[in-house]
Amino acid sequence: MNLVRIDGLHKHFGSNHVLKGIDLRIKQGEVVALIGRSGSGKSTLLRSINGLESFEDGLVEVDGERLHAGQTNLRELRQKVGMVFQQFNLFPHLSVGENVMLAPQVVKKTPRGECETIARSVLDKVGLSEKYDAYPDQLSGGQQQRVAIARALAMQPRVLLCDEITSALDPELVNEVLAVVKTLAAEGMTLIMVTHEMRFAREVGDRLVFMHEGRIHESGTPAELFAHPKTPELANFIGSIN
Amino acid sequence: MAYSFDFAAVLEYREVLLAGTLRTLALTATGTVFGLAIGVLGAVSRAWRIAPYDKVFAVYVEAVRNTPFLVQLFFIFFGLPSLGVQINEWQAAILAMVINLGAYTTEIIRAGIEATPRGQIEAAQSLAMTRAQIFRQVVLPPALRKVWPAICSQVVIVMLGSSVCSQIAAEELTFAANFIQSRNFRAFETYFIVTAMYFVLALLVRQIMIRGGRRLLGGRRA
Repeated sequence: MNLVRIDGLHKHFGSNHVLKGIDLRIKQGEVVALIGRSGSGKSTLLRSINGLESFEDGLVEVDGERLHAGQTNLRELRQKVGMVFQQFNLFPHLSVGENVMLAPQVVKKTPRGECETIARSVLDKVGLSEKYDAYPDQLSGGQQQRVAIARALAMQPRVLLCDEITSALDPELVNEVLAVVKTLAAEGMTLIMVTHEMRFAREVGDRLVFMHEGRIHESGTPAELFAHPKTPELANFIGSIN
Repeated sequence: MAYSFDFAAVLEYREVLLAGTLRTLALTATGTVFGLAIGVLGAVSRAWRIAPYDKVFAVYVEAVRNTPFLVQLFFIFFGLPSLGVQINEWQAAILAMVINLGAYTTEIIRAGIEATPRGQIEAAQSLAMTRAQIFRQVVLPPALRKVWPAICSQVVIVMLGSSVCSQIAAEELTFAANFIQSRNFRAFETYFIVTAMYFVLALLVRQIMIRGGRRLLGGRRA
């Protein structure tokens, strides 16, 4: 059963055709890594899945919630799709606990007590329950990113989008974030991530999707793709990152 | 120096001064509450280009910022009755202050809203929050905190500016001063004291605003 379905997605930035007909199916529990050079359209594709980018043609469907070109009512879809960003984007005026509780409280109208229970449990999952009352600027980058993951999880999404979530981190903080993602993957969370951490993508990914010039150029298991790239572009890309 | 000061002649009228002070504070408080409310609405309309209100507020802001407060006051006090709206001097004074402060705070708060990092709005969107929820929960509190010192200054400016309301016989502090010096003929002493009172009031109002802001806008306590 496909959890995410993307059909014939086209997107332009002005005269720049950035997505040139993307078709992609993602199953429940699958971990998919989008790889490719910068400018290949992988972040744009990821951001289309929860409507942060509009598109001119095609269809996105997540767990039965459909999104057509030019559509603007995204709330049902977005409740099923969590997202974590490169720059964490925590709300600076709210404590860690309040950051995590905000959406369940105002979007789902969950009672305050229940929200606190949810917040504590997701913070526990990312190993930060003791930071409940801290403010974002008191945390390291790695901790902030783990709070951002907890904040997304608090909405109980069906799929989690990760947009280069370790790119803004100091090298020594990358692993604590990847460890959390790995745990989620092991628990069966459906993950779609744009990443430059090839070793991680190889280790955790069920499937790699290589994007090149706005198209899915090649896709397959990490073992296949790394051992036997079918196209010179992918071979080139793998060569350039090793 | 031949002039001999007689402050006692002014202090005889301390009840008049006190009444004037309270009215000045009441004018300022009312003007601040409603002016800020207009400022928030104007700021979000302009910053997020909510048609047609963005254009309406743009015209309003320019009209207010490019005309003198005294003329605005006369415009309201003498203009509205000609249009058949009966209005007393207090209503006119409050209206003028609200309109004036609303325009300036529209621009101040707009700057705070526009300083919101795009990523925070996207994070809120991806959490399925509506535009109104995002504004109320994510954008407005940090925006107000960022520009609060500027808002405090503007409120003090408007409080000091409220002295021109004496011109339409609103009996605030400056009106009290005019009244007293016309009775005791001690203009210098009267305005000396009233100047000092305005000075203290300004410091006081600024402190109240800063403390109130800290409490209301809350957030991280260092």
